[in-house]
Amino acid sequence: MAARRKRSKQTKAQREFVSEAEEILDRLCTDLAELQSQREEGDGDVDPDVVNSAFRSAHSLKGLAGMVGHDAMAELAHRLEDVLDGVRMSRVGLDSPALPIVDQIIALSTELLASGIESSGSDVERVAEVLARLDVALTDSPVDESKPEPELDIDPSMLAALTEYEEHRLGENVRKGRHLSLVETNFELASFEEGLSELSTAIREVGEVVSTLPSPGAAPESQLRFSLLAATTVAADQLLERLDFPDTTVRIVLEGSGPDVVSEQEAGRAEVSESVPLAPEASDFESLKSVSDSVRVDIRKLDELMTLVGELVIVRGSVAAIANRLTHDGATQRIGAELAKVHKQLDRKLKELQTGVLEVRMVPLRQVFQKLSRVARRLERDLGKRVELDFVGGDTELDKLIVEELVDPLVHLIRNAIDHAIEPADERHAAGKPEVGAISVVASQRGNHVVIEIRDDGRGIDASVVRQHAEASGLIAAETVLSDKEVLSLVFEPGFSTRSEVSETSGRGVGMDVVRSNVTRLGGMVDLDSRVGRGTVTTLTLPITLAIVQALLVETGGQRFAIPLNSVLETLLVDEASIQRSEGRELLNLRGEPLPLRRLSDEFGLESVPSEGGLCAVVLGLGELRMGLLVDALIGQQDAVIKPIQGPVRQVRGIAGATEIGDEGAVLVLDVSSFVEDTVRRKDAA
Amino acid sequence: MSEATPSTNGLAADHEREPENWEALARRAARRSGEEADQQELVEFLTCDLAGAPYALPVDRVREIVRMRPLTSVPRTPDWLLGVITLRGEVVQVLDLRMCLGLPVSDLGRRTRIVVLHAEDGEVSGLLVDGVRSVLRTDESAICASSLTDVGAVSEMCRNGDEFVSIVDLDHVLESHTDA
Repeated sequence: MAARRKRSKQTKAQREFVSEAEEILDRLCTDLAELQSQREEGDGDVDPDVVNSAFRSAHSLKGLAGMVGHDAMAELAHRLEDVLDGVRMSRVGLDSPALPIVDQIIALSTELLASGIESSGSDVERVAEVLARLDVALTDSPVDESKPEPELDIDPSMLAALTEYEEHRLGENVRKGRHLSLVETNFELASFEEGLSELSTAIREVGEVVSTLPSPGAAPESQLRFSLLAATTVAADQLLERLDFPDTTVRIVLEGSGPDVVSEQEAGRAEVSESVPLAPEASDFESLKSVSDSVRVDIRKLDELMTLVGELVIVRGSVAAIANRLTHDGATQRIGAELAKVHKQLDRKLKELQTGVLEVRMVPLRQVFQKLSRVARRLERDLGKRVELDFVGGDTELDKLIVEELVDPLVHLIRNAIDHAIEPADERHAAGKPEVGAISVVASQRGNHVVIEIRDDGRGIDASVVRQHAEASGLIAAETVLSDKEVLSLVFEPGFSTRSEVSETSGRGVGMDVVRSNVTRLGGMVDLDSRVGRGTVTTLTLPITLAIVQALLVETGGQRFAIPLNSVLETLLVDEASIQRSEGRELLNLRGEPLPLRRLSDEFGLESVPSEGGLCAVVLGLGELRMGLLVDALIGQQDAVIKPIQGPVRQVRGIAGATEIGDEGAVLVLDVSSFVEDTVRRKDAA
Repeated sequence: MSEATPSTNGLAADHEREPENWEALARRAARRSGEEADQQELVEFLTCDLAGAPYALPVDRVREIVRMRPLTSVPRTPDWLLGVITLRGEVVQVLDLRMCLGLPVSDLGRRTRIVVLHAEDGEVSGLLVDGVRSVLRTDESAICASSLTDVGAVSEMCRNGDEFVSIVDLDHVLESHTDA
């Protein structure tokens, strides 16, 4: 609650700072993870563009933090920038002990962001502490100053125009024995950015662009002339062949000699280009181009838009009702029909608008996956376990708000998997499994839902152990008959998983109840499947968006309720006589299958007033589970914008929120997942 | 209302005005309190009636005052949660302040109002009161400890002329009424 309080007091500028800084930190993490994997896969050779991008992120963060006066963050970013500058200049190796500290600095920065602009005393201490550790690590890391600068046979005026970093890259490339070429070309003034980026991409396929320099004067009118200093594994003439651009020349600056150089021609040493006039500030060129064409939007603004769309939808409903009334009156039939036609058009456009706004809110899960891989990397290090993490379906999109709320449960599941499920290497070896554990996170869209599976090949959960503990802690009685799957679902019970010894033996850590409550709050469901010795699959099923849903309006005891239609399978008229009883539970024979029933009036303590035709059963389905909810009457279908219920009472089981329908005031929206769960659980307990 | 005299009496004279004006009144008072509070140590309260006695709510916590409107009752909640109302697209819980303070409850009347608060953590909540009286401006010296010792939600009182007005500790009320 304290965190929320702080957050609400942030100004718009602060919120913008936070969201921008979060983005930068995310990018930084992605780059660092990329570097790490490149280092592990390759021979220690990494893509200089990635190092450079990480350096630029740190630099931007420093500027941003300085601007809003977040001193602690600015200090952290400043030191980050230093270290990453060291990395790109090869002063700091990727195996330096400073790099794990870089991860810690990023983690600390992320934490600082979460607690707002003001840094507390303890924050300052932690910043000082982590920076002190960085100092130690940097002193420990071997500084390699023995590398002699190679003699470069390049025009001095050109060398003078290079930045320190470019010079360093040039030296590195010469050391590797790559071919150095000067690529010169003209681009139309109007489209030079695209041309340049295409050209650079083409060069990068076989090497790197050390520097991009405009050369004024030499180009025809309305065109710009550029010189690109390229370091490639192929020789100049082959490079020219690869570059499918008009008016492009490639001159040899230095012929390569290294082992990775494909040299098959004996081109004569071409003379170095006559002193090309070079603009010194040209090195900023890359960063100028990197402005993207996307816009950052505060999610609250999207919420407001969504609310407006929702209200329009409600107005549309009233228009439809008026049109309907008019058409049924002889005198106004004609005008009613016209209104109905206009209403149809309105309806169509409104649907498009709705879809449009919804799409804007959708973000790919990839962002969450990146966070997960960071957490996993840290845990691997802390616990000394080796885990191969595989992510599938990063393109799957979900509402931004859902994605945010998913981070904690997913992090928790990954942490559990690495900490408790994956066995130590020797144990795995003894069990005939690969020593490196495998965890995969697979996301996919199924209709209106997104399903996320977290699989591990760890020790699995032993249902008999779970049962033993559940009985010992009084969750279930000794005589209760439960299937293994039902026993497994007990780990989600609040009273269950707080015991640490359970986690050790059952392969699940604490807090599974929190995972479930987070997921159900989003209208989703958690399911668990496990085989002892083989591994565990946890499946999260989530709605794609929370913003607008089609709802079924029902009535019980004179009060109306809305049920999200995506969970309604069918509705039936039910005669009291057809309701059967078994072990104190009511059920219905639905085409030969028993359908457990709950009465909404009993659940909510209302006086049921069934209509003459009998009760109505709303068949609810969530995942594999089915149940029937008995209500007095069905009212109709309606678009509903589900709003949170504000006030001191935090959560009411069975209620997901409320929606405003016409002038009826608030109508409560039922939380289908809790009804289904409660029904299934009661079946277990009975 | 047009002359907006910054004295308690001037505001109290508006007692029988249309309730819509109270919103403006509360807002104006809140604005003033922001401007002057730091120089004069003045505190402002919205006084209202609860079970026939005067109670005071800190003005800066009041967002608006609205008339009764359709309440949707929420199942599985205690009696003091009267239900929820919609307020310009927001869905807001309404608590019966009388019940929260352990006072007797009478039927809703013509003067019944919902005082809508901005809670500290950004969640809006509504409090049902029997009627709204006025804005009371006073300095710290008029505030004294409550004569009662066992009521957690009222720990202070404020002298208003001859009358003592109980000051409601809103944080206490909201924090002790969170369990459904």
